[in-house]
Amino acid sequence: MRILAVTRATVVRIARDRGALFFMVLLPVAIIVVIGVTVRGFDQFRVGVVAAADAGPVTRDLVTTLTDDPALRTHVYPDQSTARTALRRSETDAVVVVPATLDRQAAGPGTVTLPILVAPSATNAQAAVAAVESAVADHAGRVQAARFTVAETGGAFDSRLGLAARTAAATPSVSVTQRTVNGQSSYLPLGYSYSTPTMLVLFVFINAVSNGASIVQNRQSGVYSRALAAPVGAGTLVLGETLAYLSLALVQSALIVSVGALAFGVSWGAPAAALALVGVWALVGTGAGLLAGALFRTPEQVHSIGPAVGITLGMLGGCMWPLAIVPAWLRAAGHVVPQSWAVDSWTELLSRHGGLHAVLGYLVILTAYAAGLLLLATLALRRRLASVG
Amino acid sequence: MATPQAAQTIRPQQDAEPLLDCSKLVRRFGSRTAVDGVSLDVAPGETYGLLGPNGAGKTTTIKIVCGLLEADSGTVRVAGLPVRAAPGPAKRLIGYVPQEVALYPDLTVRENLLFFGRLYRLPRRRLERRVEEVLELIDLTARGEDRVDSLSGGMRRRLNIGAGLVHSPTLLVLDEPTVGVDPQSRHAIMESVRRFGDQGMAVIYTTHYMEEAERLCDRVGIIDHGSLIAEGTPRELVALVAEKDQVQLVASGDLTRYAEACRALPEVEGADVDRSDEGTVHAVVRDARSLLPRLLDLAHANRVQIRSVEIVEPDLEAVFLHLTGTALRE
Ligand SMILES: Nc1ncnc2c1ncn2[C@@H]1O[C@H](COP(=O)(O)OP(=O)(O)OP(=O)(O)O)[C@@H](O)[C@H]1O
Ligand SMILES: [Mg+2]
Repeated sequence: MRILAVTRATVVRIARDRGALFFMVLLPVAIIVVIGVTVRGFDQFRVGVVAAADAGPVTRDLVTTLTDDPALRTHVYPDQSTARTALRRSETDAVVVVPATLDRQAAGPGTVTLPILVAPSATNAQAAVAAVESAVADHAGRVQAARFTVAETGGAFDSRLGLAARTAAATPSVSVTQRTVNGQSSYLPLGYSYSTPTMLVLFVFINAVSNGASIVQNRQSGVYSRALAAPVGAGTLVLGETLAYLSLALVQSALIVSVGALAFGVSWGAPAAALALVGVWALVGTGAGLLAGALFRTPEQVHSIGPAVGITLGMLGGCMWPLAIVPAWLRAAGHVVPQSWAVDSWTELLSRHGGLHAVLGYLVILTAYAAGLLLLATLALRRRLASVG
Repeated sequence: MATPQAAQTIRPQQDAEPLLDCSKLVRRFGSRTAVDGVSLDVAPGETYGLLGPNGAGKTTTIKIVCGLLEADSGTVRVAGLPVRAAPGPAKRLIGYVPQEVALYPDLTVRENLLFFGRLYRLPRRRLERRVEEVLELIDLTARGEDRVDSLSGGMRRRLNIGAGLVHSPTLLVLDEPTVGVDPQSRHAIMESVRRFGDQGMAVIYTTHYMEEAERLCDRVGIIDHGSLIAEGTPRELVALVAEKDQVQLVASGDLTRYAEACRALPEVEGADVDRSDEGTVHAVVRDARSLLPRLLDLAHANRVQIRSVEIVEPDLEAVFLHLTGTALRE
């Protein structure tokens, strides 16, 4: 009951702080939206398309195929010269130039040639071309199916192409299966599935550290000292604060996970594993928050230094960009901070659909971080409390 | 200044078992001895004032009493229970009001009282009833739902005291409850301290306001440099200087040096500048009438202009000057 009195006071105080609520709930969601919308993946190739505006169904189907391909980030250019400029400026990896005669050629016999422009210096060019080829092969399959149908049963090519497209959409797609098997394993999925778990990791930590200000305040105001004059030990105070910080981190996590699942369609992977991960990460945050509360001298220090530390650790740990794209030494350095292990775990759950056993190793490491931080924080805080008298 | 009051005859039960019993407390900080062998006891219903200048060791003594600081040696017992060895039962009896306001600024008045009450495991019903009583007592019932940071300084001081009362302590420990409070609030605080004594609560209370100690306390201990240098009822203490005269010189010039020069005279027991009343030198002397010309000569020699001289009845201020040679400082 005395422990809960401490917990309650801290939770009420922080819940009453509008600023804290903004940083705990609104800001993370806002940033999830911004990043979710802008970050369309680090494993996509940027492909430009130039096509006649008044082209027929085959051209339209090809452009749609390229645009909808999850491996490609497609931009349609109005004409070839604009596309070439973009290529020269490295704004795109390759440009597909759809011949104006594509529809006519596709309906007739012979081979159709589809030129792809690449810049000689572009490192991604070959891979981009390969990705385009696989998308085009898809499209070509449908065109052939349409022609086959026309030849066998008659009818208009256009309507047969539509039929082929619908049939293809209803049939499990070979290329989609391949993507899963090859597994872009070093990356989280794209869009909100990228931004939500990374921001969960980033913000739960930052907010927990910022909440450390309330502990510094209690140390300064003499509330702890006074509480210790009651039949209450330092351990009770530390435990009460631990519970408060843990509950706050868990509530915040629950909010972000729910918003991600309900509003942004994030699928969080195996529930048991996701739950364990959220719990352990909340403990890591709790430990860091208590430590901040024990180490800093003024609440202002916590508010100015805490978030900066949190953001730096987030960058190092792969919350801002995937560690797969940074140099190996930086990736190794990043794995000094707990954030990297949390992001790795979410990648495992969301991209590779691993279960509890797949992230067990990560969970053990994160638990060790949480235990270490909590231990350090408890010792530091108990020492502080011993000398407040 | 107020004269010693007669209230002492009504309340204290000095022959009863002491509620608070401190014996030979010593506490050092590095090479500095903050508390140097303090022994004192407070009877149930008694109000005890610990009077001393800044840095005398009042807060250190209070913190040892409340079990917040460990003494290097000596013991504290509350109702016979050791505060340090088995703190729980002893601490339950103590209500501690720290020198600085120690409250949650962003919780309401009521929430603060509830919080401190919960630390003593009061059952819910009783806690709620006590909180209402305390609110009444500190005259903050109307402000119960207001956040502490919206209260005036004096109200915060009152709540600071209230937070030490929720669990109905038998020993109330107040560390300078009236410091930095306007005269009106100060009066209210002193009134409530008096009432606690009347209710049978033992009160130990530190201050460096002489007149407060004289008015409120059944007994006063004078502490300086960590040691109790005198103890007794205000009347007994003043009797120590009954044969002496207290001289108040209103003057201008380098008064600090002048007070020093006065102290050098063998007939002067103590002299110092009154910090609360800029431009006044207090001196405790033997036979003021015959010494006066020499004090004036000394003023002349130190280029101090004397504007008025008054010989007043000795009070605790005089006692302090007599005992230490210098004044209590604010
Ligand atoms: N935590 C500490 N560390 C070092 N020295 C301390 C500590 N607390 C008190 N002291 C020293 O002990 C002496 C007594 O301090 P204390 O606070 O008990 O005085 P006080 O009588 O309460 O003074 P005031 O009227 O200013 O409140 C002072 O010299 C002070 O500097
Ligand atoms: Mg003090």
